[in-house]
Amino acid sequence: MSASLRADPVGIRLERISASFLDRSRGMVTAVRDIDLEVRPGELMTLLGPSGCGKTTTLRMVAGFQEPSGGTIFIGPHDVTRTPANQRDIGFVFQNYALFPHLTIFGNVAYGLEVRHWSTDETRNAVHEVLELVGLGGFGGRLPNELSGGQQQRVALARAIVIRPRVLLFDEPLSNLDAKLRVSMRAELRNLQQVLHITSIYVTHDQEEAMAISDRIAVMENGRIAQLDTAEMLYRRPASAFVAGFLGRANLLRVTVEHVENGLASLDLGGQKLVARLDSTIGVGSAASVIVRPESISMGPPNGGLTGVVQTRTYLGEKIEYEVALAGQTLHVVRFDPAEDEGFAPGSPVSLIVPEAKLRLLGADAGVATGSQLDTAGPGP
Amino acid sequence: MRTSSSGGAGDGPRRLVVIVLWLLLGLFVLYPLGALIARALSDDNGFTLAPLIAAIDSRNNLRAFTNSLLLATLVGVCGTAVGFLFAFTAERTQASRLWVKILDNATLLPLISPPFTTSIAFVFSFGPRGFITHDLLGMNNASVYGLASTLAAETLTYFPLAYLALRPMLAAIGGNIEEMAFSLGGSRWRVFRTVTLPLTIPGLANAFLLLFAASLADFATPLILAGNDLPVLPTEAYLQITGMFDLKGGAILSLFLLVPAGFVYFLQRYVVERRRFVTVTGKGGAGMSSQGTAPFVGNALLMICLAVVAFILYLYALLVVASLVLAFGANYTFTLAHYHVIFTDGLPAIEDTLLIALIGMPIGGLYGVIVGYLVARTRFFGRQVMEVVTMLNYALPGTVVGIAYLLAFNQRPFLLTGTAAIIVACYVFRYSPTGIRTTVALLQQIDRSIEEASFSLGATSFTTFRRIMLPLILPAFFAGLSVVFIRSMTAISATIFLVSINWTLITVRILENMTELSLGPAAAFSVFVILTVIVVTTLLNLGLRRMMAPGLEIQVLRR
Repeated sequence: MSASLRADPVGIRLERISASFLDRSRGMVTAVRDIDLEVRPGELMTLLGPSGCGKTTTLRMVAGFQEPSGGTIFIGPHDVTRTPANQRDIGFVFQNYALFPHLTIFGNVAYGLEVRHWSTDETRNAVHEVLELVGLGGFGGRLPNELSGGQQQRVALARAIVIRPRVLLFDEPLSNLDAKLRVSMRAELRNLQQVLHITSIYVTHDQEEAMAISDRIAVMENGRIAQLDTAEMLYRRPASAFVAGFLGRANLLRVTVEHVENGLASLDLGGQKLVARLDSTIGVGSAASVIVRPESISMGPPNGGLTGVVQTRTYLGEKIEYEVALAGQTLHVVRFDPAEDEGFAPGSPVSLIVPEAKLRLLGADAGVATGSQLDTAGPGP
Repeated sequence: MRTSSSGGAGDGPRRLVVIVLWLLLGLFVLYPLGALIARALSDDNGFTLAPLIAAIDSRNNLRAFTNSLLLATLVGVCGTAVGFLFAFTAERTQASRLWVKILDNATLLPLISPPFTTSIAFVFSFGPRGFITHDLLGMNNASVYGLASTLAAETLTYFPLAYLALRPMLAAIGGNIEEMAFSLGGSRWRVFRTVTLPLTIPGLANAFLLLFAASLADFATPLILAGNDLPVLPTEAYLQITGMFDLKGGAILSLFLLVPAGFVYFLQRYVVERRRFVTVTGKGGAGMSSQGTAPFVGNALLMICLAVVAFILYLYALLVVASLVLAFGANYTFTLAHYHVIFTDGLPAIEDTLLIALIGMPIGGLYGVIVGYLVARTRFFGRQVMEVVTMLNYALPGTVVGIAYLLAFNQRPFLLTGTAAIIVACYVFRYSPTGIRTTVALLQQIDRSIEEASFSLGATSFTTFRRIMLPLILPAFFAGLSVVFIRSMTAISATIFLVSINWTLITVRILENMTELSLGPAAAFSVFVILTVIVVTTLLNLGLRRMMAPGLEIQVLRR
């Protein structure tokens, strides 16, 4: 299938890239601080983070729309830091599609080929092939404003891939679509990227989208990469409270390390005891925090051990969410597929069981400022 | 995003264009203004304020100054009131689409006519041999000249500007806010008084200033209608120069004109614009706002508007009749003699005017698009200064510009007096700012990512401009063309100082005819100009509609 669109993928490497610029109201702003990033050939790497974290700026520097104030960008073996965008051989998919409003769908997709001086026949064949590929065969004669949002985004995608770029860059391509379409489009995008085997960087603030689509995710915070890993590892072993909170929901509890033995740490939580696995060294007696996902906590009638008091109970059909007061902190607990008679009413004491493998122990500096409970920054509007 | 995009190579040509533009602006905007001020404030011994102080002391000048301000204020108030009446009727009553369309088209008429069409028609209607004064009322010595008729003629000529400015404003305020007020229990009158009116005040102020400036700069109407008892600055400056060959006196008087004009421009740009409560997007609010008036009030308002419209149509009908009868007011025998005159005797003026308009049109259109693109989409040293300078000749009263050009290009090294070039240059730099603004407005609707998309697909910045940006801003080019053409056909206040034996203009011939009391040819010329403008702008509009990329909106402001 569309072998003609397939080429050997190349990697992308950013070395100590930074971006600062003068803003009229805020003075000197640094959007990206000394980022190192390596995207493997054929990989889809997502830059995930809240708005203002520098993800889009990073992407635009890779595209060549913006020049880094420091550092080097490699696409394949070539240093492209000073190469203008039109010579970088990239495909860019914009958030607002950025279709040329005065050209037909065919004209839009053919544009990049015409610029490359392809023959009329070659152009026509390639455009038809790629329009078929994105499911828009027969739409060539229409104008962009005659298409729905989802169709327009497919055209934007077709336009970007028809030139067989070495690199595909996506700037929140699905955020203008409605929720249902977003889900189906992201599957298509992923499928297409796999088929074409093009090295891609994908920017989004939607953690679910990032998890669904990426080989690896770089979570960005304040112009830096907070953690780079696969979705699974990021979720299971977040390096900081920020990462834990950005991918899914997480409880952050302040604890004190009592003693360490056999790779396990005993923790004091306001007089109650907790045990967590330890994979870095941590000083006995020091303050620390633990992260635990709401769905990792089991809850039962009081029977000693970790005990809290239910404060609120929210029934949501497939799950029930509880807020439990525990040693002066609040713990969120989610119970899926709840039993019919399950009813820990507010005010009732409960026993909490947290498997030690599901507890993630962080040093105190790794995010105490963020507070004791982290909700996901989650998908935007 | 915030930083400039470095899409492709090609800063060289752009820098060249910027330099050429600055040279042209220096020559045709800054240098004439400098020459004007220098002439007014110097004598053989260099800088001096003596002539200026003497001029301020002169009773006559002072009278012209106060008359100008008085007239402009009255026109501002009356024109804004009529404009608001029309806008309110169109937006807030149950008037059907057909009536609104009639209002629209009738208000368009004064905008595309030579500025003194109304004045001429006034003479036909109320003059010594006027249709109403003489034929209907049987008066023999009716005087049409004076403040009242000048005020009425200017109000009718300029209120469409207020209408065009106020209607989108009212639409943008939208019915929702008013419905909210109704839902809180306000009566219609109370809602109008406490909600609609306060929200419109910035718009009203803006319209007032627009009309104030237009009246202040109006030369033709007072020249025809003001008479001896109402000297105003533009006519006085003109008489100083053409009657007494006193260039310095004219320069000083135009400085007088410069002060209130500059003040109004400043107010408009920096005070009123910032006080706007609503941003006008061009799209109306949720349309249902016809509850704003009771039916009988709406009908009454519509009747008043239609009366005004009927009066305007009556004036234009008089003009047509006058062009087709032997002697208006005396002998109503049908004749084509006047048209024969303008196509024989008057042919040179017609040819010159059309030639100048046709040369100025593409130059002005191109200049508008280029400046608009540079101002809106690129960054270079002095960009904002350039934006202000390009607006200068547009904002200054025509008399000031005309006298400045006369002074600046009367001698070497820039001896242009008597050529067509000086008239073309005057039109291009005075009337292209509309094209510039339209280009900027269009570009603001075109996201920067469109250009980046083109770069990302491998196009150079030149290809991007040619294949993407140019087609998208072509409508602005056409809008620029149409405004430059209209103005080239109808303007007079600046160019009356620039015509010569070699190059004359229809508008100047009309004024000459009026002073020689050959009213028939004047009427025929006016009808010819109006028809030409209607035909050409209709063609341009058709072309524009075909070329407009879907989804973009354009608003051509005619002044």
